[in-house]
Amino acid sequence: MAWLIVTFVNYPEIKNLPLYTFSTVSRIIITLLISVAWGVSFGILAATNKAASLILTPFIDLLQSIPILGYFPMVIGFLFALGPLGIELSVIVLLFTSMAWSIFFGVIGAIRGIPTNVVEPARSFGLTGWRYVRHVILPAITPAVISGANLAWCDGWFFMIAAEYIQYKGRVVTPPSGGLGSLLAMAAYEWQDINTSIILLLFITFIVVYFNTLTWHRLTEKASTGTFKPVFTVDLSGVGKIGIVRARRLLHFGRFQWPKAFSIASQRLRKYTRIEKIITIVLAFSIAFFFLYYMLGRFPTWGIIRGGFSEPPAEQLAYLPVLIAFTMGRLAIAYVISLVVAIGMGVLAAEHKRIAAVFYPLYDVGQGVPILALFPVLFLGLNQLIGVPRVALELTCIIMLVLDMIWYMFLNIVSAVKNIPTETREVGQLFGFKGLKRITHIVIPSILPSIVTGSILSWGTGWNTIIFAEYMPSTAPTIPPLSVPGLGSLLDKAGYEYGNTVLLIFLLGIVAIIVLSMEAFVWRRLLRKFEKYHVEV
Amino acid sequence: MSVIEVENITKTFATDKSKISVLENVSFSVGNDEFVCLVGPSGCGKSTLLRIIAGLEKPDSGRVLFRGQPVTKPTPKIAMVFQLFGLLPWKTALENVELPLEVIGLGKEERRKVAKEYLRMVGLEGFENTYPHDLSGGMKQRVGIARALALKPEVLLMDEPFSSLDELTAKTLRKLVLDIWRDPTLPTNTFIMVSHNVEEAVFMADRVIIMSPRPGKVVGEVKIDIPRPREKHLRDPAYFNLVDKVVEILEKSKAATEAESLMLTVNKT
Repeated sequence: MAWLIVTFVNYPEIKNLPLYTFSTVSRIIITLLISVAWGVSFGILAATNKAASLILTPFIDLLQSIPILGYFPMVIGFLFALGPLGIELSVIVLLFTSMAWSIFFGVIGAIRGIPTNVVEPARSFGLTGWRYVRHVILPAITPAVISGANLAWCDGWFFMIAAEYIQYKGRVVTPPSGGLGSLLAMAAYEWQDINTSIILLLFITFIVVYFNTLTWHRLTEKASTGTFKPVFTVDLSGVGKIGIVRARRLLHFGRFQWPKAFSIASQRLRKYTRIEKIITIVLAFSIAFFFLYYMLGRFPTWGIIRGGFSEPPAEQLAYLPVLIAFTMGRLAIAYVISLVVAIGMGVLAAEHKRIAAVFYPLYDVGQGVPILALFPVLFLGLNQLIGVPRVALELTCIIMLVLDMIWYMFLNIVSAVKNIPTETREVGQLFGFKGLKRITHIVIPSILPSIVTGSILSWGTGWNTIIFAEYMPSTAPTIPPLSVPGLGSLLDKAGYEYGNTVLLIFLLGIVAIIVLSMEAFVWRRLLRKFEKYHVEV
Repeated sequence: MSVIEVENITKTFATDKSKISVLENVSFSVGNDEFVCLVGPSGCGKSTLLRIIAGLEKPDSGRVLFRGQPVTKPTPKIAMVFQLFGLLPWKTALENVELPLEVIGLGKEERRKVAKEYLRMVGLEGFENTYPHDLSGGMKQRVGIARALALKPEVLLMDEPFSSLDELTAKTLRKLVLDIWRDPTLPTNTFIMVSHNVEEAVFMADRVIIMSPRPGKVVGEVKIDIPRPREKHLRDPAYFNLVDKVVEILEKSKAATEAESLMLTVNKT
């Protein structure tokens, strides 16, 4: 197929499409392998050793909530110095920062979820140490590792375009061995060729879907065969379920209390054996060293922090409340649209088996579309249609958000609809609920918890997406980059245009505060309220 | 001479808000070759007690002695059969039985041989390479029993081993367990079983120890002197009298606990 495209499109770079495909796929596979190795080993460490867990989990929780953009200055600082190899490495590091977490948290969840009637017998005949890991933990986490790796794979494709086309201080950096992400970005930003962009986008989607159906389905099927079923009620094939699990752990780890954690950590430390102590101390020191190095290396004095607040994009800080309002407004509009459409589709799927039969395959294909890759293509199309770049970007931004947010809503709602117990449906039939009554009394209450978890996830991903969607990198050296006013675009300016790390970190902090307070004041309350509706599957 | 001695065991579980006292000052001993049943209403801590004897849980105070030595962690001399079988779902019947043998350091050939032998003993010849998922409940429990016995323990602990099986299967397995208990060629001859089925306890045990609801205390003990094999005596008045006696003690202790909690509520208001 790649060769087919090569023959039809006339750009010199397109000639390398097979090579670029190969390098992107292998890049993601390499990162995936690293992520699995890292996620499994650290996940086991964090789930079995309390001291390690107290240090690792909050730290990793922090890292995973930083959008990929937050890693740019660090990665660039460390790796660009190494030349071409450094750029390749930094792309992998960037991909890793968006792929690794789901495996880590999946492993922790799976280990915590090993049922007592498996743990107890193992302990009763003295299974400890490496034997316990080999005979109990490793088989028990296999399904979680596979579904986490699948999620990471999709995340990798999602962020590929951001990782392979790095803009920094007006300079565009792409990996020397090329890649599909940088090719698509070039086609859309530099050549502004909508046809080529769409063909490339379809090609990427095809590859992702192809691998999803070929590799992942086979793997998940293998892992969910009879052997595991009686123990793990978590349905492996439903992505929506993974979403629920993800939302749960988001809330769970969010509850972490920092100062308390440290006092407990020091208490625990006294109880552990020498080796465990050494490992923990080395780990703690290396983390502390890393932080210190980073802080001291980059902001040795108060002066530099002040400098960061007086350099270019800082003058816009005065409008910060307005910018936040703009961004929140876009998110809210996109959220309401996705909510209404997703509930409508979910209810339709619940009521009509035939419509459901159409929706469920959407799972597989839709999951494969790297939405971030749509951005340049969508903008290009809308801009040619409308002609006013700003309006086009505004529209693109909201459409991107809807596409991104609706997905999580839809997946969660569909899997909830799928899981309405037959008994509940039968009760409805027995009492003769029909039409609207049936929807309000049976369907909606059954999917309420999923609507909340879907909302949490969609706002989470929305924040991640809006940082890209409010800002259009410059399409040519002469044209200044285009943006719509908002918190996200300010972040981008600080990061891409001016390389103002101080401001970038400050703004990321503001994003974190908004996200966390929404979580604490809105989502957790709703989730608690709807807990009673939750159907144990 | 007693094999197991339980001395003044007390255990409380702490939840977020309150402490639940599960066991209070429980003492009894079990002799060599003895089959003892612990009966009590659900939530009286009998399973917790069994886990303390197995070394899986630590008591708040008191201790368990095995041939005079305190039990603080699981030992191959005391094996356990679980209510929900506790088989590893990713291992075949044979591998499940082999695993504890690997822990005590048997070589590959040796443990395969021993595991096969015990699977044959519980009547599972031909199912060695079947995964738990494809076995019926009764067969799973047979694997559980084979796994426990393969370690050649002196004491076998059973936590409601038949309560998740249908009555017919349970009946067959009860007979299997009694045959194993009486088999002179096997080293395992001290059995402690937890049950909430009084008929089952009277049918199987030499001695039934009755526990009260939360907190669990020993409220009575009934010696069962019906001759064995007991299948022939299931219609005898002696059998029914003993069942009635156990039920009576259970109900008395239940009434006492209820009256006590009623008094507490009255006092509070």
